[in-house]
Amino acid sequence: MPDASTLRRTALYARHAALGANLAAFAGWEMPLWYRAGAVREHLAVIQSAGLFDTSHMDVFFASGPGAKPLLDYAFTRDLSRIRPGRALYGAFLDRDGHTVDDAILYPLGPDRFAVVVNAGMGPVVTAHLKGLPDAGGVDLREPDRRLGKLDLQGPASPAILWEAVDGADRLFADMPYFSFAGDFDLEAGGIRLRNGTPILLSRTGYTGEIGFEIFLPLDRMDETWDSLSRFGAESGLLPCGLAARDSLRTGALLPLSHQDIGPWPYVNHPWLFALPLKKDGSFSFTKDFMGASALHPEGNPHTFPFAGFDQRRVDPRGAKVLLNGEEMGDVLTIVSDMAIGRIDDVIVSLADPNRPEGWAPRGLSCGFVRVKRRLESGTKLVLQDARRKIEVEIVKSIRPNRTATRRLP
Amino acid sequence: MKKPAEIVIPETLRYAKDHEWMSLIAPFRVGVSDFAQDQLGDITYVELPEPGAAFAAGQEFGSLESIKSVSPLYLPADGKVAAINERLRDDPGLVNQDPYGAGWLVEIELFRPEQAALLMDAAAYRRHIGTEA
Repeated sequence: MPDASTLRRTALYARHAALGANLAAFAGWEMPLWYRAGAVREHLAVIQSAGLFDTSHMDVFFASGPGAKPLLDYAFTRDLSRIRPGRALYGAFLDRDGHTVDDAILYPLGPDRFAVVVNAGMGPVVTAHLKGLPDAGGVDLREPDRRLGKLDLQGPASPAILWEAVDGADRLFADMPYFSFAGDFDLEAGGIRLRNGTPILLSRTGYTGEIGFEIFLPLDRMDETWDSLSRFGAESGLLPCGLAARDSLRTGALLPLSHQDIGPWPYVNHPWLFALPLKKDGSFSFTKDFMGASALHPEGNPHTFPFAGFDQRRVDPRGAKVLLNGEEMGDVLTIVSDMAIGRIDDVIVSLADPNRPEGWAPRGLSCGFVRVKRRLESGTKLVLQDARRKIEVEIVKSIRPNRTATRRLP
Repeated sequence: MKKPAEIVIPETLRYAKDHEWMSLIAPFRVGVSDFAQDQLGDITYVELPEPGAAFAAGQEFGSLESIKSVSPLYLPADGKVAAINERLRDDPGLVNQDPYGAGWLVEIELFRPEQAALLMDAAAYRRHIGTEA
């Protein structure tokens, strides 16, 4: 663990401390793991009402100039010929071997101007990677002059909370599907404001699987905005949420953590193939040439699958074995307990299921991702074994049902 | 995270360096301290031994699974498990809510009651967690 004195703190550090956050080092930042309510209640709040996350540790960089689009089209796994204004794209940057440098959300801001949101500490790494590519010469790659703050408001109550907080919500919400955004990373120029005057970029994205927003804003407006969103959300049960709930929510929503579920191995044979520019003819060929493409063979590379357990017990993923009828198959990339789900007659049911039996409360299920040496059918039972215990899990297509991320704004 | 002054450390109990507590009168109950539960975060599963199982002091007798990690539990003294807290099966969060009361883990029959004198009293344990915080 790095020395606490070298860790970076977000603009909301004093708020986190005052809210009783349990803080820990994450990617060079001292971040809240959970607040007083605890990670389980925070996880459930995002399923049932709303949660507010400080995600200012994430990095943003800009690519601009006439060469920006061709460079990004070569470096990013999404086909940028299909870009639409006001729509962000999730994808990955790969190296020559098809290994993941980082995953990212790309925001087209104009024909020659793009913003890229990457993981904490990855701005300099990804921009250095891009500068090393052919044809990077004419492209201006830079981090913002002044760091931006970022708040994620996630959960079914978040549209109603934001409706109170944002200026012109009726106009904005009328056309704001999943992965659309409003405003600009030049926040003042973007023309989108909170009612308190704060200029923002509003993105209908998140990392929880639930309906919600990522809000980019100036650092000096973070305290006031955190407080006003907390106030607007108080009645609906909004909780401040830390990285532990973020990790369990994203896993149940089948979203990968960069450098853990995707990383230094070929970006293929995983649940996120939508992030590759695959032709729709089932041939496993691409609509464009891009960095790393030639290494992405379905044959001869490991396979990543989601799994779910039968109760909330986990194993320690470090060194845990993945066994199929006693045969060692690979390793555990992520394992968490999604405390909003349980099984009824073997079927996974969420606390958010309107048809759940009355009085039924989930006890949680272990879930995550395994990386194994060959393709497995969904329903395949595996044993995960660490030094302490063995648990049975099964390969699944989806983990937490009744997710709301793509739902239409009310 | 609780501030040091908010951590509850009852005077009547004795403490091991791995943050288990033990009562000094029968039934000799064992649990984890307020400091430990605060550090671990929400407990999601408690794995306890069968009654009748015997352990040496410092031996692992079960585990606490929190949202963050799976942590081993060590018995503070040589003994045999006389009873386990059955309520934790349905409500592992009791360890967080009431670590010295309803969140107790096991009751043990001590083989060498004099070992209790080797454990820390409340003041020593408060100094001990001061060095870890």
